[in-house]
Amino acid sequence: MKKFSFHKLTLAFMLVLLLALAACGGGDDEGNNNSDSSSNKGSEEGELYSIEDFTNVKTNEGEPIDGGSFTYGLVSDTAFEGTLNWNFYSGAPDAEIIQWFDEPLLTWDESYVYTNDGAATYELEGNTVTFTIRDNVNWHDGEPVTAEDFAFAHEVIGHPEYDGIRYGSDFTNIVGMEEYHAGEADTIEGIEIVDEKTLKITYKEVTPSLLTGSIWTYPLAKHIFEDIPVAEMSSSDAVRKNPIGFGPYIVEEIVPGESVTFTKNEDYWRGEPNLDKVTVKVISSTTVVNELESGGVDTVSSFPTDQYPDNADMSNVEFLGDTDRAFTYIGFKLGKWDAEEGRVVPDPNAKMADKKLRQAMWHAVDNDTLGQKFYHGLRWNATTLIPPSHPEYHDETNPGRSFDQEKAKQLLDEAGYVDVNDDGMREDPDGNELVINFASMSGGDTAEPIAQYYIQSWEQVGLNVQLTDGRLMEFNTFYDRVENDDPGIDVYQGAWGVGIDVDPRSLWGGESVSNYTRWTSEENDSLLAKGVSDEAFNLEYRQDIYNQWQELMVEEVPVFPTVYRAVLVPVNNRVVNFAIGDGTGIYLHELGVTQEEPMTAE
Amino acid sequence: MWKFTVRRLLIMIPQIIALSIVIFVLAQMMPGDALSGMIDPNVDPERLEELREKHGWNDPWYVQYADWVGGLMQGDLGQSFRFKMDVTELIGQRIVNSFWLSLATLLFTYLIAIPLGIISGRYNDTLLDQTITGYTYIGFATPLFIFGLVMLWVFGFMLGWFPTSGSVTPGLEAGTFEYFVSKVNHLILPALSMALITTVSTVQYLRNEIIDTKQRDFILTARAKGASESRVYNRHILRNSLLPIAAFFGFEITSLIGGTIFIENIFGYPGMGQLFLESITMRDYTVVTAVTLLFGIASIVGALLSDIILSLVDPRIRIK
Repeated sequence: MKKFSFHKLTLAFMLVLLLALAACGGGDDEGNNNSDSSSNKGSEEGELYSIEDFTNVKTNEGEPIDGGSFTYGLVSDTAFEGTLNWNFYSGAPDAEIIQWFDEPLLTWDESYVYTNDGAATYELEGNTVTFTIRDNVNWHDGEPVTAEDFAFAHEVIGHPEYDGIRYGSDFTNIVGMEEYHAGEADTIEGIEIVDEKTLKITYKEVTPSLLTGSIWTYPLAKHIFEDIPVAEMSSSDAVRKNPIGFGPYIVEEIVPGESVTFTKNEDYWRGEPNLDKVTVKVISSTTVVNELESGGVDTVSSFPTDQYPDNADMSNVEFLGDTDRAFTYIGFKLGKWDAEEGRVVPDPNAKMADKKLRQAMWHAVDNDTLGQKFYHGLRWNATTLIPPSHPEYHDETNPGRSFDQEKAKQLLDEAGYVDVNDDGMREDPDGNELVINFASMSGGDTAEPIAQYYIQSWEQVGLNVQLTDGRLMEFNTFYDRVENDDPGIDVYQGAWGVGIDVDPRSLWGGESVSNYTRWTSEENDSLLAKGVSDEAFNLEYRQDIYNQWQELMVEEVPVFPTVYRAVLVPVNNRVVNFAIGDGTGIYLHELGVTQEEPMTAE
Repeated sequence: MWKFTVRRLLIMIPQIIALSIVIFVLAQMMPGDALSGMIDPNVDPERLEELREKHGWNDPWYVQYADWVGGLMQGDLGQSFRFKMDVTELIGQRIVNSFWLSLATLLFTYLIAIPLGIISGRYNDTLLDQTITGYTYIGFATPLFIFGLVMLWVFGFMLGWFPTSGSVTPGLEAGTFEYFVSKVNHLILPALSMALITTVSTVQYLRNEIIDTKQRDFILTARAKGASESRVYNRHILRNSLLPIAAFFGFEITSLIGGTIFIENIFGYPGMGQLFLESITMRDYTVVTAVTLLFGIASIVGALLSDIILSLVDPRIRIK
């Protein structure tokens, strides 16, 4: 009898739980529906941050000790590949490791233009660039870095049997490279070794872009690699087990996929490094905060910004911040890719072809609130397609299209998108039902609510937008379908990291396969071409052209940027001479620590 | 006995062939390929297309399958696109880690399961038994990936007793005593986390088996003959109850594979499970197919092992 009543009690308890759960679910839905009307109230709940309040250079707290060791946390949920050579690597985690023991011949300044402060100097004359490698630049085994090594890197990457991904427009731009790649020539006509330390490369086209990242600046040690067939180089021990470079640290020990330890290179050309030892170890993104708190790592390669608000007052680190060279955007599918011609073919009859419809969809969304609610201000409203990480060319005076639902409705009315059958949703100008398919990627906690937020915003101006297939897509599926112009996608949300080169042609040009909107126009192509013309060597001219282009994209809206992003990097308080970002003039050999052991959080 | 084993082995062959086709076709059907994750404005899309052509990724699946099987026959699993090294070498690197992790987990599993199962079976329906069964129910209900994270946080970070990631401390020289100790030290926490969860089914199995055996007639006979209580338990009951557990061993291998995928990812332990998951997300086909095939074969062999052990234990199985 007693047992029976116990069971009854359990059942009752379960029912109560079930009800409580159901109530929670209901509450959530309501919250979502109200999110727009109460958006201002919502943002007050969490603290807001601004990238303006961060610096990208670590404050030095004390004098560095002589020697010491430093641990770098490589945040990655996958093991690093271990292709440890600039000429062969493809994954970002490998690059994080290579930077400690090898470096490019040229460095660049804040606006990403090559400088003469690096291991080599350069001089541009006509179409020829002359590189002079400094006398004291030596490989870790003592052999000098020579012009021949630099030429050799080009010969390997251009070789028909080269299996990496680096061969591309940077190389085809060299005179004679295409003939060499096709196997028609034994040497590259445009590359001339003048003497041991001097090399001349002649380019077909010299544009301002050439000097912002379009020169291959990584030599390959010929005395090591010359006996290895090109096809086997990337898997050879010289890349995987005993990698070599001319950077500040020397590789000591590699545990495949896990960690790499370095010792200092006393012969480093900028001077002997401060630290005795550097360890790079892979840590999982779920344990970043704990590793930092316990002093297990001094800094990390990337920090999940969404965890910042909870850890902003971690006592043993300083957070550095910088504007990310990236933006999130919403694109409209407006045509097809013609693979044979290698051109974008816009379709004037595409569902999204009316530019007023696209303008209205931009006006309908409030990206500032989105940035505040989901990212605590660490992502913020984007205005143009050149992000503020390129301050010289980002047009600050261009406001983009601000959040204005009335304007959006007005634009739609003008374009003939009105509700004719009184279902509360607008039909297209011919009176047919309009359903817009929106594709977005899964990943992270915020992917789903953000996609829903956009759909609801568009619904509020009367547009019926549905998720393609009714759900979010996994990364590979998403790009596969977007790339192949899947008819089930009309609008998509994507993100781009932009290179150090500001030239937007690779993303939005008429001849780029990565221009997923498949939109272009004569004006677009002509402005983009002017941006890399000879006149564009004049900074003001180039700025003016890119301002015009940014304005054109705000007018035509084949794509609109949604949010710009901040990168945050926590650094242990004992670290000195550390910076993130470009052109800071702080180099890895100066890195030091003020005490033997990392500080731990209180 | 031999006939049975040989027959089971022969059945394995078509199983493995079917498995390989299914794996290969499914892998091909995954959207994207190893290069689609590299869309980056700094990489020329034409170069990616050129590479796809060069690797034969644009060929129909049966052509690629024939190539793959051709290589397989010669013991060549192909080259990992991502790691730029032979898949056999890559797997060789990782399988060692996974082997030790699995072995340690099995060891812990039985170290926990056998005493708990015996206590719980012998003293069934006492408070002690209820505590143990309580633990097994909690174990059944707890997802491994949550439990792993909690263990990592408590013993790795809060108490700092164990290292928190990797399979060895960076910078130690292979072959030294220190290296060995560090390896073992890195193993304990992930193995224990997994064992504490996977052991619960074995505990319950053993408990039920003991309770069941306790009521058999031959136990009654043994007691009637005047055998002491400890003799009854240790010689008569335990022996009979452990045999089915031994048979369970083969299936244990299969469940280990599932477990290592979570555990290796949480503990950043570079083994087969981690390799499997990341090669799927990175679309490193050659690795995906090779690893899945290996897992598949391991499961089939595990089942075979169980069958063989069972047939040794229980002669009735062999009867057609």
